Amino acid sequence: MSILEVVNVSRDVSWLPWAVQYFFLIGLSVACFVMSLGLAFDRGDRTFARRALVGALACGLVAPVALLADLHQPGRFWRFYATPNLHSWMAWGAFFIPAYVGGLLVYAWAVLRPDLAAAGAQSDHMLARLQRIVALGGRPVPRLATAAAVVTLIAAALILLYTGMETMVVRARPFWNTPFLPLQFAATAFTGAAGLVLLIGRLDGERNAAADTAAARWMAGALTITIALGLAWFALGALGLERTHAQALASVAGHRAWQVTALWAGAATVLPLLLVAWRPAGWTWLAALLGLHAAWMFRWTVFIGGQTVPKTGAGLYVYQLPLGHDGLLGIAGTLGLWLFCYLLITTVVPARPDRRSSLVSA
Amino acid sequence: MPDTRRDFLRSLGAVTVGAATAAPVSAGSARAAPAAAAPSAALADAGPHRFAMVVDVGKCIGCQACTVSCIFENAVPEDSFRTIVSTYEVVEDGRAGMAMLPRLCNHCADAPCIPVCPVGATFQQPNGTVVVDADRCVGCAYCVQACPYDARFVNHLTQTADKCTFCAHRVTAGLLPACVESCVGGARVFGDLADPESAVSRLVAKGDAKVLKPELGTRPHVFYLGLDDRLAGKVEGQPTLWRPSAEQHT
Repeated sequence: MSILEVVNVSRDVSWLPWAVQYFFLIGLSVACFVMSLGLAFDRGDRTFARRALVGALACGLVAPVALLADLHQPGRFWRFYATPNLHSWMAWGAFFIPAYVGGLLVYAWAVLRPDLAAAGAQSDHMLARLQRIVALGGRPVPRLATAAAVVTLIAAALILLYTGMETMVVRARPFWNTPFLPLQFAATAFTGAAGLVLLIGRLDGERNAAADTAAARWMAGALTITIALGLAWFALGALGLERTHAQALASVAGHRAWQVTALWAGAATVLPLLLVAWRPAGWTWLAALLGLHAAWMFRWTVFIGGQTVPKTGAGLYVYQLPLGHDGLLGIAGTLGLWLFCYLLITTVVPARPDRRSSLVSA
Repeated sequence: MPDTRRDFLRSLGAVTVGAATAAPVSAGSARAAPAAAAPSAALADAGPHRFAMVVDVGKCIGCQACTVSCIFENAVPEDSFRTIVSTYEVVEDGRAGMAMLPRLCNHCADAPCIPVCPVGATFQQPNGTVVVDADRCVGCAYCVQACPYDARFVNHLTQTADKCTFCAHRVTAGLLPACVESCVGGARVFGDLADPESAVSRLVAKGDAKVLKPELGTRPHVFYLGLDDRLAGKVEGQPTLWRPSAEQHT
């Protein structure tokens, strides 16, 4: 028996590339924040942690903008707070996001305050004056740093939880309806974050083998977990061990575009893993970009690719990336805003503090 | 009580109905049509109703009159549909035949679109109709993702979630939903499940009515008579020959 679908509805993608950008940036921010915790607890490589904090701040500030832009009625965002439906993970996210970003800013201020004060004391230029103002005296506040780190860590965990659950609970999409998804979001976020820290290191211009090694370790660990999760997901579907996973795999397995995507995803995880394991000359640039690519591509595949799978019809919906604000321009705009935030942060926050500001000994 | 277009015709007379269906009827004009309102007044009163639809796929000829009347009645923008008749060519044992499957919001008793809405803009009326408060909707499209029937979309004109409402404005005015009224074959039957004497109650009570994707436990209130199980879920077939353009019109 064969069925030819002659007429059916074709639905547009309704979670736009803005959503991909949001999930990408908030994941990077959370993972970078976790990598930066050495600043509060005086552990690990400090340069690595500082670069991670810069990444967390830049991504954390831009992510909510991308999320707001994904709303078709962004001016009504206040309704998330005025009339929340607490049965919805998305409603909870509206509370977790400001908690996380607010906590991140307090944490960053607490751990960077001595460095800002030291940099501000070196001259009387406008930037130095600004640094002194931001430092508010510069006295180390280790208790505040520790408290902010703990609170923000809880908020960061809630961000990872809600972003994963928000997508996972959608039973209408077998491709999303898997408990692996929150873990995959987290693992790929750490992969991308490690790549971002490597990239910031290159943009920073200061060679620091210890910082790069720390990033490589994070990336290797995250990629290994990503591969393990991917194989487990595939096995559940391919062996028919679980119905939803089998449905998800069956809905895409027969399509050439998805077969290419699978190969692409495999290469996007294996190549950076090989790079950070062997570390040939010039590995950092490539590993940085591949790590970021892996995190972004995973979200693009899940959100945009997932929405091209019809819930009732045959085949796949056609998606072409629009060039306007709902597509390429939105992606480029997000990148531009990130670059602005990065430049702003790295202008105010001294890249190479002259002294090791110890929060613990103060 | 008239639950189908045929009943409607019988009770009103062909001349009156011809006038009502010859031109697109706006919500405003529908509300102002007292003659048409009277026959379905039982559905419009405030009593405890549970609205539902029964679709006899054997009577559907795939003319898409329901699709078009819905678009005109509800000002559905180009490239979007609140209802459509999915049409399939089924070849079995060397014989080819056409299968029709009118699709619309299933107004589920356990609607997955309701709990996900972050601002409570989607809700179920006491009569079971699932509706969207467009003034409250933030356009997050979470409900679009959660609907297992692809019955929701973001309206390009209003930038809010959109879906079938069982033509609530018409039912309130004592009229049948536009798709029911325009159905040439009388395939769509609309009525009140809370009324055991209604046509939908009698059809559902026969026991051979099916719903789409029953395994999800959403308890749809659009029932199908003569539904092939192979069309009840995600249809495994060759993709469609025709699709509307993906261009957005603002």
